[in-house]
Amino acid sequence: MIALGSRPRKEPPTSSADEGQNGNESASTEPDVRFTLANERTFLAWSRTSLALIAAGLAIAQLLPPFPRVPWGRSVIATPLIVLGAALSGLSYVEWRRNQRTIRLGEPMPHTHLPRVLALTVSVIALLAAAVDLYSKASR
Amino acid sequence: VSDPRQRRREIPEDIEVADPGLARERTRLAWTRSSISFAAIGVVLLKDRPVIGAPVLILSAVVWSIGRWRRAPGRGGVARKRILFVTVCVTTVAIGALIIALAGPPSHGLRL
Repeated sequence: MIALGSRPRKEPPTSSADEGQNGNESASTEPDVRFTLANERTFLAWSRTSLALIAAGLAIAQLLPPFPRVPWGRSVIATPLIVLGAALSGLSYVEWRRNQRTIRLGEPMPHTHLPRVLALTVSVIALLAAAVDLYSKASR
Repeated sequence: VSDPRQRRREIPEDIEVADPGLARERTRLAWTRSSISFAAIGVVLLKDRPVIGAPVLILSAVVWSIGRWRRAPGRGGVARKRILFVTVCVTTVAIGALIIALAGPPSHGLRL
């Protein structure tokens, strides 16, 4: 993506290319369109991640054959995946608003917690799935 | 939704002037990818639950068309309502998925 991580400039780096976009007068108040669009693409990427997690949860609940002797096994794996999808969707909206404000004010980009939330939760769910599978096999 | 042929007439010869870094083009493609994600879930739901799957497919078409909306010049492409719409859609799909996963009839799973 575009260098959103670096400090966004109110003055576009290649001003000659952007004068047609913002106009000379509004350039001091309006942020570079490219930063705004990059923020929007980041939000959409998180939304797709959310949808993928929801689809995975649905597939586990509906397509996976039930675990032998563990009737609640599929729900225990599917529910946190779907809840994580919903939570990431809301969090990514909050991040989008915060980043939008940051770009407008020309401040340094704030730290984001979303990758950590995603990585930790997916790891925990994977361990949970392994535990359910082992428990199902052990209680045979 | 604007006529693409009409827009093409306004574009200067250098694409880097009309769309620096192809940012608009890439953003439109991101909307298309997102609409495909909705469509994937909609098609999967359509088989067993057409009442839920069909609206998700309609959402997919709406998301696709949002990506093609023209952005007001000078507004920096600020699009809070579109962003909020996507958030609400994803959350609604998640709630529906949760209901299917927890309260739906027991599934025997896919036998391969």
